[in-house]
Amino acid sequence: MKKSLFTLALAFAFVFSAFANDPAYESAMKKQIQAMKTIQNPEQSQAVANGFLRIAEVKNTEWLPLYYAAYLKTIAAFRFEVNKDQYFDQAMELAKKAEKIAPNHSEITALQGFITMGKLSVDPMSRGQELSGQAMQLFGKAIALDRENPRAVTMMAQMEQGMAQFFGQGPEKACGLARTGLELFAKEEAKVTEDYLLPTWGKREAEQVAGACK
Amino acid sequence: MKSIFSFLILFLWIQNLGFAQTILSGKVLDEKNQPLPGVNVFLKGTFDGASTDQNGSFQFETTESGTQLLAFSMLGFKSQEVVVELSAKTLEIPSLILKEEFNELNTVTISAGAMEASDEKKSVILRPIDIVTTPSAMGDIVGAFQTLPGTSTVGNDGRLFVRGGDASEVGIFIDGLRVGNAYGTTAGNVPTRTRFNPNLFKGTFFSTGGYSAEFGQALSSALALNTKDLAKRNQGDLSIMSVGGGYSHTLANDKRSITISGNIFDLKPYQAIIKQDFDWERAPFGRDLELAAQQKTAKGGLWKVLARTEAGGMQLWQPQPGESSRGMLIHLKNTYSYAQTNWRNGYENGWSLFGGISYSQNKDVLSLGGLDLERKSQLTHAKWTAGYDFSDRLSVKNGVEYFRNEYSEVLTKENLERTFEENQGYLFTEWDWYLSRKLVLRSGLRAGVSTLANEKWLDPRTSLAYKISENGTLSLAAGRFHQLPEERFRVLNPNLKNTESKHLLLNYLYQKEGKTFRAEAFHKSYDQLVRFEENLQNPQNVRNEGEGFARGFDVFFRDRESLKNTDYWITYSFVYSKRSYFQYTGQVQPDFAPKHNLSVVVKHFVPNLKSQLGLSWSFNDGLSYTDPNQPGEMNSKTGSFQNLSLSWSYLPRPNLIIHGAVTNVTGHQNIFGYQFAQAPNEQGRFESIPLGQGAPRFLFLGIFFTISKDKNANNLNNL
Repeated sequence: MKKSLFTLALAFAFVFSAFANDPAYESAMKKQIQAMKTIQNPEQSQAVANGFLRIAEVKNTEWLPLYYAAYLKTIAAFRFEVNKDQYFDQAMELAKKAEKIAPNHSEITALQGFITMGKLSVDPMSRGQELSGQAMQLFGKAIALDRENPRAVTMMAQMEQGMAQFFGQGPEKACGLARTGLELFAKEEAKVTEDYLLPTWGKREAEQVAGACK
Repeated sequence: MKSIFSFLILFLWIQNLGFAQTILSGKVLDEKNQPLPGVNVFLKGTFDGASTDQNGSFQFETTESGTQLLAFSMLGFKSQEVVVELSAKTLEIPSLILKEEFNELNTVTISAGAMEASDEKKSVILRPIDIVTTPSAMGDIVGAFQTLPGTSTVGNDGRLFVRGGDASEVGIFIDGLRVGNAYGTTAGNVPTRTRFNPNLFKGTFFSTGGYSAEFGQALSSALALNTKDLAKRNQGDLSIMSVGGGYSHTLANDKRSITISGNIFDLKPYQAIIKQDFDWERAPFGRDLELAAQQKTAKGGLWKVLARTEAGGMQLWQPQPGESSRGMLIHLKNTYSYAQTNWRNGYENGWSLFGGISYSQNKDVLSLGGLDLERKSQLTHAKWTAGYDFSDRLSVKNGVEYFRNEYSEVLTKENLERTFEENQGYLFTEWDWYLSRKLVLRSGLRAGVSTLANEKWLDPRTSLAYKISENGTLSLAAGRFHQLPEERFRVLNPNLKNTESKHLLLNYLYQKEGKTFRAEAFHKSYDQLVRFEENLQNPQNVRNEGEGFARGFDVFFRDRESLKNTDYWITYSFVYSKRSYFQYTGQVQPDFAPKHNLSVVVKHFVPNLKSQLGLSWSFNDGLSYTDPNQPGEMNSKTGSFQNLSLSWSYLPRPNLIIHGAVTNVTGHQNIFGYQFAQAPNEQGRFESIPLGQGAPRFLFLGIFFTISKDKNANNLNNL
């Protein structure tokens, strides 16, 4: 009995490792990640997001395709003339699905904070009070889950910068965070190879915050 | 040998691959036969697929073969699957129509009679933050609602008056459970406030008519307040105000949170500085203690507890017409407790359940110029509802409710007591049926039984909404409403039956980002209203006999977009109301239903000053009253009511708010009626005293400080 259980566990381990190193999955992901870089309009964004959703459909134990689909929805809402609230809501729905697969993941939590920032930007006057607190909390949680996550640190820097401007306080805290963010991005870039699938975005935002510090 | 075998297989597989490549193509349309771009079309279980383009067309290659499932999916639409046989080189799929799912964003909402304050919902008229930032409201929930259509401001009362109805016709609910004595007890002409702090609530639903079968015992209006869910962080909130102060502490984690707060208020120091027109023996004072707790339960449920206890009082000399002395001393002591608990959960299989129970207890000890009176009221409300979504087009909510009400009045010196005990039971059912995304029909039925009135009754209610354009909705609502008379009358005549009203409303709502326009016309009939002989101080022969009506219209416009950093709304309500009630023999315009009501609220944010400036202006054309020196009833009208209030909220630091406000800046002499002598003087005239304001203006200054590890938390975050 014990032995058969062991075999079963081994078989499972095998299956899972096979999933993790699934070349079809990796090449499909790489194709969509490449396609992300050429998006010019909401239709192209939707097409790439759909690509990720097709992968998510097959690989229903991977959080990454859902993460990217949610990220694309978020970026599209910021970039293009679309129904922003609807896009942010859909992005949050996808991010929540990703969270179910990988609970307490720093990247997913940071993305949820980013989406909350988006919701806030639609109507800052009436949503500001409620959502700024929520976004800060999510970024705080994302940093606590992974101190090396440059995106979590950078977006926290953005929030701090906004708060400092609003209350006429010094930018020291935001600048410190942005510098840390840039260091973490440099660290991350060293890891990035051709097969790297994890998120890498956000350096430009960190540079923007840091740029205002001189 | 083995390797040759592998090679063969590989060869065959590649061969197969080469031959069996299929190009799939087709077109996806929406329900209006228009091309639908962005649909994800793919073979189930593979990465092969494509998105539809601007023409709704898709095309992709696959190396799969045999019988496969082709899936069509898009967020907000119902997914579809089609069986395909992959054998030929090309496969043209017949055009396919995807149906949009019904959801809150794309489906019509019933807007007749309803006004929501929430950050979540779409059909929002007022946001929770507006309640604390409306200058004339002075942080009172009901004060903010008095700037909304369908309401009248009765400045010496403070309660909510809706469309020609008196204040008792508004039912107040917390998390669906009735609140007994929701307003503070008051005396003379001192306006009252809601007992509950706006900080407790995440949203409110205010209906001025034609409301859901879920609510009963309210002839005119239902005000449903929904308490907040789990608190977000540990924090302490300290407030220091010109009228008192308080502290509130919150402990929270992912699963549960608890907030305990205590407040004291006393107008004595304020009144020592600012001269009052009322002759106070003891300024109003009070203290309260409150607990709110939330806990997540298994499978996504939420369990809440809310408890509050408070005590307060006042002493006031009320001048009597024709007398030169200080008049009559009114001494009031009040104790009040409210506790409730409720649990709700929504399940993925379409069920949503709610259960709760509330208890309110109010005790007033009154001394009116030597007459000592003790009043005690207790109300228990238990409620259970079950909702079920049959599909995205049809849903039902059923509920069962039980009420118990005990009331007593004791003349202490005379040792005379009168009481009543009452049990009520209710069943309700309400069905929402979406005939299309543009058309929804809601029908409900509410059945009630009262042991004291020995009466059973049935209230049918229905509403219909039709989306006439992208941003415009037309709604129609009708229904019957029953309410048992106020406790003070039922204790005199326990046989009193229900009073009754019927509503008919037509509503147009236009909502575009940042702009809201709302217009509503209504007709309301009244029947079986309370009538008596003599007067309100000494009612004789109390009976159900009065009748009347109220009709009119109201318009509301809110714009948060056109002017930079500015949010404003304008409301006008017209009410034509007449009823035979109380001692009035004929149908008269009641003294709480001014015809023309106007209010303007403007909020302007000044980033440089880190401040929000607020202005509110209310107007009505005066209240009717009976002048005994002239023939007839309700034969006169007071001058117009005007109140211009200003406020300034300053946020120097993220965790500090300084808020100042002044009401009636212009010092307008508002008169709410006249008190006439019981008997004429030697010249044969009834002498009178005008019922005015306690002071020309009211000044408020408050400092709100938040202590939290999260430096950006402040009091407003709670809203």
